[in-house]
Amino acid sequence: MPRRAPPFTALFALLCGAACNGGLQPLAPPTSCPRGLVGICGTITFQGTVPDSTQAVYVVAYHTFPHSRDSLFTFQPSLPLLQKLPLDGATAFYAIPVAAGRYEWVVAVWVKQGFTLANADSTLREAGYYRDGANPSLPGVVNVYAQGTDSIDFVIDFGQMHPPCSYYSPPCP
Amino acid sequence: MLTSLMLTPGAAATQQAATLYGTVRDSATGHALEDARVGVQGTAYVPTDATGRYTLTGIAAGTVVVRAQRFGYRAATDTLTLAPGDSVAANFVLRPSALHMDPLVVTAAKRSQLLDQVVTSVALVQDSELARRAVNTVDEAVDKAPGVQFLNGQVNIRGSSGYVQGLGARVLLLVDGVPANEGDRGGINWDMLPVDQVERVEIVKGAGSTLYGSAALGGVVNLITREIPAGSHARVRATAGSYANPPDTIWRFRNYTGAQEGLDVTASYGGDALRAGLTAGARHSDGYREQDRSDHWQMVGKGEWLPSAATRLRLTGSWASNQYQAPLLWCERGTCVDRGQAYQPFRIDTSQAGAYTRSDKGLFAATVEHTMSPRESWLARGSWLRTDFTDYRRPVGDFGVANRYGVEVRGLVRPTASRVVTVGAEGALSDVTSDIFGNHWQDEFAAYGESEQRLGPARMTAGARVDYIAVDGGGLSAVVSPRAGLVLPGARGTLVWRLSVGRGFRAPSLAERFVQTSLGGLTVVPNPGLGPETAWSFEVGNAAQFGTVVRTDAALFWTEASDLIEPTVDPMSAQIQFKNLQRARLAGLDVAVYAFPLTPHLSTSLAYTLLYTRELAHDTVPARPLAFRPRHLLTLGADYTFGGFDLGADFRYSSSFERVELYPPTDPRVSPKVLDLRAGYQRDALSVRLLVANALNYLYNLAPQTLAPVRTVTMTLTWIY
Repeated sequence: MPRRAPPFTALFALLCGAACNGGLQPLAPPTSCPRGLVGICGTITFQGTVPDSTQAVYVVAYHTFPHSRDSLFTFQPSLPLLQKLPLDGATAFYAIPVAAGRYEWVVAVWVKQGFTLANADSTLREAGYYRDGANPSLPGVVNVYAQGTDSIDFVIDFGQMHPPCSYYSPPCP
Repeated sequence: MLTSLMLTPGAAATQQAATLYGTVRDSATGHALEDARVGVQGTAYVPTDATGRYTLTGIAAGTVVVRAQRFGYRAATDTLTLAPGDSVAANFVLRPSALHMDPLVVTAAKRSQLLDQVVTSVALVQDSELARRAVNTVDEAVDKAPGVQFLNGQVNIRGSSGYVQGLGARVLLLVDGVPANEGDRGGINWDMLPVDQVERVEIVKGAGSTLYGSAALGGVVNLITREIPAGSHARVRATAGSYANPPDTIWRFRNYTGAQEGLDVTASYGGDALRAGLTAGARHSDGYREQDRSDHWQMVGKGEWLPSAATRLRLTGSWASNQYQAPLLWCERGTCVDRGQAYQPFRIDTSQAGAYTRSDKGLFAATVEHTMSPRESWLARGSWLRTDFTDYRRPVGDFGVANRYGVEVRGLVRPTASRVVTVGAEGALSDVTSDIFGNHWQDEFAAYGESEQRLGPARMTAGARVDYIAVDGGGLSAVVSPRAGLVLPGARGTLVWRLSVGRGFRAPSLAERFVQTSLGGLTVVPNPGLGPETAWSFEVGNAAQFGTVVRTDAALFWTEASDLIEPTVDPMSAQIQFKNLQRARLAGLDVAVYAFPLTPHLSTSLAYTLLYTRELAHDTVPARPLAFRPRHLLTLGADYTFGGFDLGADFRYSSSFERVELYPPTDPRVSPKVLDLRAGYQRDALSVRLLVANALNYLYNLAPQTLAPVRTVTMTLTWIY
């Protein structure tokens, strides 16, 4: 009978050993797309001074350019998955989960304190977007496949932000 | 005066009857056994007190079979002949045998029955296990049961609930048979009862709506509280402990070690006709992470009047009050002092610093039980559950006050020696007053019946329940929940097969129908037309005993669920709404093995659940795993007992969730591997227990951005008079 002891002891030791490693560990912010992410990653370079009224800045992606207010909230990722960009450095890396596909506009959205859906026109601003390499005045198209699309880098200029109505009809009053 | 008048009939009756008294002891140690059950077969059993003593009164003269039993021991019987007015001593000595399993359960069929006669899987957590584990809350006690997993306070039985942030549990909580899910959110308050008041927990797995109606979609958890022993008694339970500091200095968030402490005091008196007990207690915890401090106060009272041997009136009340800092999601980069880290699991987003919740809850119930004859008995019950919370958060807080009033009448008839019929009716009124749920109410009426027929060694069960539900006085909607089952013992009584198929349902909670708030820029809109979610559960189970060394229980289960209620996000309108969307499938295998591999002093256990879940394709969403369900769930346990000492350990492994929702991509996910160690010493009325929960300080999270408990060392001192 006592011969059964070693397997039990060994099993328990094995399990304890397995639990000694792993688990959550300190993690520096990523500088490239996390493994397994299907989405868009890149580095934002900040220019200008962050306004005191800033609530948050997010990066979002649109399959098609939003030409009307009705399509303003058709971006990805979905609202609960939005991540605030850290604003305490000169640059910030971002990684947003979006479905595989083609995206016409990858844009940083500045959100003013007190934002609600009703006052979105006055509390949201386009703060910068990924630009076409050949013609920087146009948005750059980003294709996402079954993994992260990296190096979608662009600039946020807090001194050059535009309200949503700048991009659709009727134009801003 | 009133008391003496009430006592008169009982006193007169006992003059014509006999009395039995005595003690129950352990054959190996000679120690008195508390909470052993002694009774004349066919009547109610009484518990022994801390010194192992019992008194049975009002026994009809004649030849009676007296039985003494306790979980983990072989039952003992004695046949006695009693004359009117006799007072006879009958002492029992029970042999330890944890494998000798013939415990009575009361939840699966709404009546007492032996565990191996139940058509569905039932997991038991006995008082000895509760004491040995030295846990501080009821959910900790339930957490390690086979097939059960908690996600941030939300119970999952075989993956039933997933994680929906406390809204609409798919498990029904009962306290001594009284439904105790919240009237507004349908969630469960696990801190309503002090764990010291819980004698055992019965966990019925699979759909249980045939007898229990709404919420019993994934299972039923019944907390059975302690009986009041005869004589005057007191019980004191004191706990003190500390939380491990973050293992890495970059995660440190305070310059002291967090502590927790608690005290529960119980006093009781049990007479022949009147019994009463009162428990008061409090707990404080600094928490193991930032903004996790909590204070808890509680009081539990129980009173019984036994005007005759056949009638019992029981009044119970429990009240608990909490004030706890809201442990919000952990801090991601840029939302706190992140020290250059991608996330800080011990810290919170500073925008919600200072948020806290004040919560009060109470459950009151009155039950009358009457046994008219060995063949007929009935029960009537009324209950009131009240919950009241206020969230103090920025920019504005929320509040909600909810009530659930319930009534039930139930009859038990044995028309022949081989048939048992249970019939009953239930009614409930739930209401809520809240800034986010509005002012609404829901009426529920139900009738149910179930019959068990013995055919040779087999037992066949069939029953059904119909529930009518109306919201805000609107039209009634009806749900029918049938169930059929078969229990078939194998040869020599060492093998039992069970088979069942049943339907479960859950009516949407008032919160799911009417919630109206905003969440991170999204508007949560109500859906008054939300319908109930339903499920068919199939199960084939087998319980087997191999000599005196090994006992096993295994079950294959399959659940097909329809119209599951889930929150949906509409990006076009930036709205969240609860909808009946999903069809889902949950199937798997549940195995439990108990063994004494080397010596009777050493007991070991293994519980494993293999879970396959699929959300079936709907709209444009392809088939995919259900969120927040692990594929594998493994629990290993070992306990060594010698004299008054015991040492034990539990190990729990849960595989990573195949799919999660609302996780940011930077959020790490790991497979929990948690080791709990425990040691205890008991001498007469005093016991000391040490628990080191999560001894390896394995850091993990099950709910999004929410750190699970770190290593916690707790010392518990219990004294019984």
